[in-house]
Amino acid sequence: MSQTIVIDPVTRIEGHSRITIQLDDRGEVVDAHFHVTQFRGFERITQGRPVHEMPALMARICGICPVSHLIASAKAVDDIMAVEPTPTGADLRRVINLGQIVQSNALSFFHLSSPDLLFGFDADPAVRNIIGVARANPGLAKDGIGLRKWGQQIIEWLGGKRIHPEGIVPGGVAFQLTPEVRDRILAGVPEAIAAVERAIAWYKTDMLRWEEEASTFGNFRSAFMGLVDRQGNVDHYGGWLRVVDADGHFLADKVDPRTFNDYIGEAVEPWSYLKSTYWKPMGYPDGLYRVGPLARLNVAERTGTPRADEELEKFRWRVGRIASSSFHYHYARLIDTLHAIEKIEQILRGPDILSHHVRSVAGINRNEGIGVSEAPRGTLMHHYKVDDNGLVEWVNLVIATGHNNMAMNRAVLQVARKHVKADRLEEAMLNRVEAVIRCYDPCLSCSTHALGQMALRVQLLAPGGAVLDELAR
Amino acid sequence: MTRPAAAGDAPVVGALGALGAGIPPVGVLVVGYGNSLRTDDGVGPAVAARLAADSRLGGVDVRAMHQLTPELAFDASGVSLLVLVDASADLPAGEVAVFRPDGGSVSGEVMTHHVDPSGIVALARELWGAAPEVVIVSIGVSSLDVGDQLSPEVQGAVPRAIEAVVALVEERGHA
Repeated sequence: MSQTIVIDPVTRIEGHSRITIQLDDRGEVVDAHFHVTQFRGFERITQGRPVHEMPALMARICGICPVSHLIASAKAVDDIMAVEPTPTGADLRRVINLGQIVQSNALSFFHLSSPDLLFGFDADPAVRNIIGVARANPGLAKDGIGLRKWGQQIIEWLGGKRIHPEGIVPGGVAFQLTPEVRDRILAGVPEAIAAVERAIAWYKTDMLRWEEEASTFGNFRSAFMGLVDRQGNVDHYGGWLRVVDADGHFLADKVDPRTFNDYIGEAVEPWSYLKSTYWKPMGYPDGLYRVGPLARLNVAERTGTPRADEELEKFRWRVGRIASSSFHYHYARLIDTLHAIEKIEQILRGPDILSHHVRSVAGINRNEGIGVSEAPRGTLMHHYKVDDNGLVEWVNLVIATGHNNMAMNRAVLQVARKHVKADRLEEAMLNRVEAVIRCYDPCLSCSTHALGQMALRVQLLAPGGAVLDELAR
Repeated sequence: MTRPAAAGDAPVVGALGALGAGIPPVGVLVVGYGNSLRTDDGVGPAVAARLAADSRLGGVDVRAMHQLTPELAFDASGVSLLVLVDASADLPAGEVAVFRPDGGSVSGEVMTHHVDPSGIVALARELWGAAPEVVIVSIGVSSLDVGDQLSPEVQGAVPRAIEAVVALVEERGHA
């Protein structure tokens, strides 16, 4: 008789979710599913709203990465207005987006994943948490909080509000940058760089003990997708979509992000509200690809900033040109953060950053618009259709956690195959299944467009669906 | 248009290590939190927005947040009183209750991208050696459906929640 294990809810991720692990007659794992059980319907509730309200409304999808939605939404409305933001407006958007990358990456690495890395996956969960990190390695915890605060301050100073900033508007940004705010942000750069470089140094020393774990931790061949600029550097705001295969060959390059529907399909499975996106030329489910910090490093030639590029070289020397293990999301996230800090400094030292030309103004000039940017967790796409009065008729959001959905399922299956050997659940297996999902740092509030926060459960199921064992935290 | 600098705007990363070096915490931090697109769950931010404009709370740091996040621990370690204003599904709709959490042990396992009040206190204590007294002002909800308007019951409770916060702050002699 085959059986299924269920993990429900997964802790330290955002949203409600459940994991089921299916066993066969011999007690071997044959399948695993990451179910997202909460539904938000954001795409429906925005219908009928004036499109100029969309950025501010979309920002309220999530309290963690509102800026990502603001950026993609504002770009979609730019497209509907048929305007480009002014150069300074675009640069200020970039800075706010990079502040978002810094603070969200810091939350993922320092607060959610560092407990696993510091104490080990088999440590007591009562210790293996951020409070435990604060006791055992207060410097690490303080660096995490410092980076988060710095990123949040950038968002607040430039965006007008820390949590749901309204400074990003169709056509650019609402506020001109003052020299005082620029200098205040720049004053924090050296310490922000020092904080993330301390974390990278610690991680590189520590990662040696995880090499074997990484080899079965969501380690599989797949494609990767991300935005790159004209030189092939990482670009968190614009540029072109690039997709590479598991060997680094281009599946697509210089793709206008506004044509993403020609390349990306969305499949719906009955067991989850989270859609599974796939690379259309390869079909579903073969067209599995990954996005996020690891994908950004895999698709780009370089990051485009000196310190991050130096670390990227070391990264590639250790894990290969195309890193395939999901475990390396952690390392990639730190390099992504370092690059974001350097890029903020580069942009703020630009000659026109204090220009008062921060916004292009226009009306409704198209009935359809698409905006694409890189969110902390990966490529984010907003697609709107409006009537001639600018009222929203249709919305589709393709978010990073959806891009990674098939990869997360594959990763859970691999970890479960290694660690589930019987008809009951053990902590070691539960810890690793949860941890491999945390590599992707899924934000289910966004991905299901669900309201509120969530938690996780694991169930072990027999072939007929009977629950053999169940664990929840 | 340029945006004026906000209060407390200072480089923060470099300042973190120095805080808590023997300086006794003073002051009050008020945080109203919740999801303003989920009807009554938005009562915390709504109360915070009104308090921020209330002259009786001049000098008090008042914030509206979507959820509590770890970096709040740094700010909390620098005050003697942290007042949290939040919606409650356990109270009757429109009822306002003021209570002090027991300050018991913290389970980091409950943490996702947000932190609960005990987590804030524990982090502040562990990292900066100072944790404030925490008082929670809870408002019972009627609806958590999708929407950006408070229900009439909860709308009616907003002035009482404001007075409860003002009374707490005045007790501390900060207003």
